[in-house]
Amino acid sequence: MQKVTLFPQSCKGMEDCGICAFVCPKSLFVASEEMNETGYLPPMPPDEEKCTACGNCMIYCPDFAIAVEGGAVDGREE
Amino acid sequence: MSEKTHPLRKYMRPQVKKTTFCPGCGAGIITQALLRAIDELGLTMDDFVFVSGIGCSAWIPSPLFNADTLHTTHGRPIAFASGVKMGLPDKHVIVVSGDGDLSAIGGNHLIHAARRNIDMTVILVNNGIYGMTGGQTAPTTPHGLITITSPYGNAEHEFDISSLVTAAGASYVARWTAYHPRQMTKSIKKGIEKKGFAMIEAITQCPVQFGRVSKQGSAVNMMKNYKENGIRIEKAARMDASELLVKIVEGEFVDCDKPELISSSAAALQGPTGGSN
Repeated sequence: MQKVTLFPQSCKGMEDCGICAFVCPKSLFVASEEMNETGYLPPMPPDEEKCTACGNCMIYCPDFAIAVEGGAVDGREE
Repeated sequence: MSEKTHPLRKYMRPQVKKTTFCPGCGAGIITQALLRAIDELGLTMDDFVFVSGIGCSAWIPSPLFNADTLHTTHGRPIAFASGVKMGLPDKHVIVVSGDGDLSAIGGNHLIHAARRNIDMTVILVNNGIYGMTGGQTAPTTPHGLITITSPYGNAEHEFDISSLVTAAGASYVARWTAYHPRQMTKSIKKGIEKKGFAMIEAITQCPVQFGRVSKQGSAVNMMKNYKENGIRIEKAARMDASELLVKIVEGEFVDCDKPELISSSAAALQGPTGGSN
């Protein structure tokens, strides 16, 4: 099952923001080479095998551009 | 694929495609912390009235939330919120605004609402600068910091807002940085449930106006600073003032129960005989 869903049109770019790459404990986020419609470089979809679905990227993303489901983020109490 | 949406999108206006913040701004992290608190409490947007003032962080509820919002004059959101709470005592009233709005021009409203203990939750987004107008020195700008209006370093000293509101008599005060959104969500939940004046001071990065001019760098650098220098209030109590200069004291400053203004004045209006007139 796919754990991480990206919404690249909401992203404000890994060059100026890059918070997802900073908070990911597995360092799975790298910038894509494709610009979104506002000219920012969103991250590429992360490696699902290595992702533990901790939910950090979703909780820290200031632009609501990442959603995580399954794994730790859903299994945790509160 | 395309039908999937962010789990918190349901609380936002459908026509809003993007947040209004600069890239890397921490206000988006606080927006999510607030929406997640509402989600985890099982409340809907109909249970709330959001009030905001003027500034970058005042844009959190006003264009984003699919709720009743009041975007008020500069510095006065707490005054408006007091009126809303009197008129609609069953609603949760949440004020979301910045440090320039609530602690500079609206400083008196903040301390007096805390003193009167009016039931509302204030999310004070503290980025330490007047971000929207270009990065001028604010009452919350750290001492010595270079800004566009203090090129030789800020000669003034900054407000410790959480301690100020604690001293003013609030029922609940907590401070967290944008690096601690999970803890912030817990505090916002407590603040919403608290019958009385609750304030959550959210320290956040402003990479464009604060970080760029003061040479503190990008959003990630500022968040690293919060990670390294954030310190819990329990530990800070055992440290010297000189050690705490660069630290950011986080945690719950006060959590107590005392009579709330609106409900106790409603009881007073009933009179000593219980409203038999």
